[in-house]
Amino acid sequence: MKELEKVKRISIVSTLFILAILIGVLTFERPKNMYAINTKVTLEKLTANNYLISLNEINNPNIILIDVRSQFEYDKGYLKNAINISTPDILSQENQELFKEFKDNKKTVVIYGKNPQEANIPFLLLYQLGYDNLKLLAVENNYLQNKLITSQSEIEKPIADIKAFIDESTKNLKTTNTETDKKEPIKKVITVQKKKKKAAEGGC
Amino acid sequence: MDKKKIAKVASFRYKILAIIFLVLAGGLVLLPKYQKQEGIKSEALLSHANSAERYISTDQIANKIINQDPSFILIDVRDEESYNNYSLPNAINIPLKKIFDEESIAYLNQNEFDVIFFSNDNFYADQAWMLCDRLGFKNLRVLNGGLNKWFTTIINPTKPNDDMPDQAFELYTTRKASSMYFGVAYPDQVITDDSSLKTETPKQVITVQKKKKKAAEGGC
Repeated sequence: MKELEKVKRISIVSTLFILAILIGVLTFERPKNMYAINTKVTLEKLTANNYLISLNEINNPNIILIDVRSQFEYDKGYLKNAINISTPDILSQENQELFKEFKDNKKTVVIYGKNPQEANIPFLLLYQLGYDNLKLLAVENNYLQNKLITSQSEIEKPIADIKAFIDESTKNLKTTNTETDKKEPIKKVITVQKKKKKAAEGGC
Repeated sequence: MDKKKIAKVASFRYKILAIIFLVLAGGLVLLPKYQKQEGIKSEALLSHANSAERYISTDQIANKIINQDPSFILIDVRDEESYNNYSLPNAINIPLKKIFDEESIAYLNQNEFDVIFFSNDNFYADQAWMLCDRLGFKNLRVLNGGLNKWFTTIINPTKPNDDMPDQAFELYTTRKASSMYFGVAYPDQVITDDSSLKTETPKQVITVQKKKKKAAEGGC
């Protein structure tokens, strides 16, 4: 009789336990779009690889162009054979499947937008999701009388030497009449506290 | 006959239970893989990136610098050479490559100051922003248009045409005044204006405290 009671209790407990685990497994929310690489690796890859592509390189059957501008702008004009996937929709399920398919077929996906800055965001996001077949088209798209004009653009190119400009303006002034003090660039004093390593305190 | 069978199975009951638990425990090993995801979810990152809030305009920055607003730090993500040539006043140079160095993290991952990234335009600054935002750092902004826009709007503002509205002229005067603050001299400048040039902006001392990791305290 005692034995039977014991078995009864064990079986009740174990059923409850299994139920709890099953519920846990079933309700576990799997993140939909998962990062494949962490930020450090992304940064290394970004600084080491050349992810830019220029306009004359895109006439290749292995290349798929993705236009990340809005539908409205896409309808006004787009590069030949480009597919429109605007930035906010880039993570939707069907688009992700599309990107996966391109990756499996070893196609190179080239992203472009109104300017390289606009294409930068979706590019970087997809890059972190693990699509390493991505390139960024360094172009600027403008409209001239409702016609799409695509021109090569250089990323991060300084348009002017600001220091030279400021020096020039003060020099001009000096030659005319007044004296102006040239401003010294102010150095910021920054104190960073170094982390002290404490000796590990012993447990028992 | 039936009883015998049941008894036979029942004699294994503990072993069967043990095997079921072992299998389930094996399943648990698979679960944490999803939690290894570093930083915020990709959907959240996309929506952050799409919001215009993360940009700050050159006029706002100029205004903040002139008013000596202490609530922000400027991070120049260009290389050292360009930084030494020209940078915004009080900017800190953290080249894009080095944003995850230990010293850099102290500036980026804190709650005291707004962090404003800038580069020549906002391409590299955006990249820095995106990587840091994914890690969940707070108060990150990007200077819209970067130093190129800084040059065209603040340092060398274009004079509005005569047929443009009043606001354009007001904006131009403000920008011209700010450009004087940042060291540009104009030939038509009145001499008395010079006093404004001579005033040096006071040095700003920023102390970023590193989060200290607590040493493991002993148990028992």
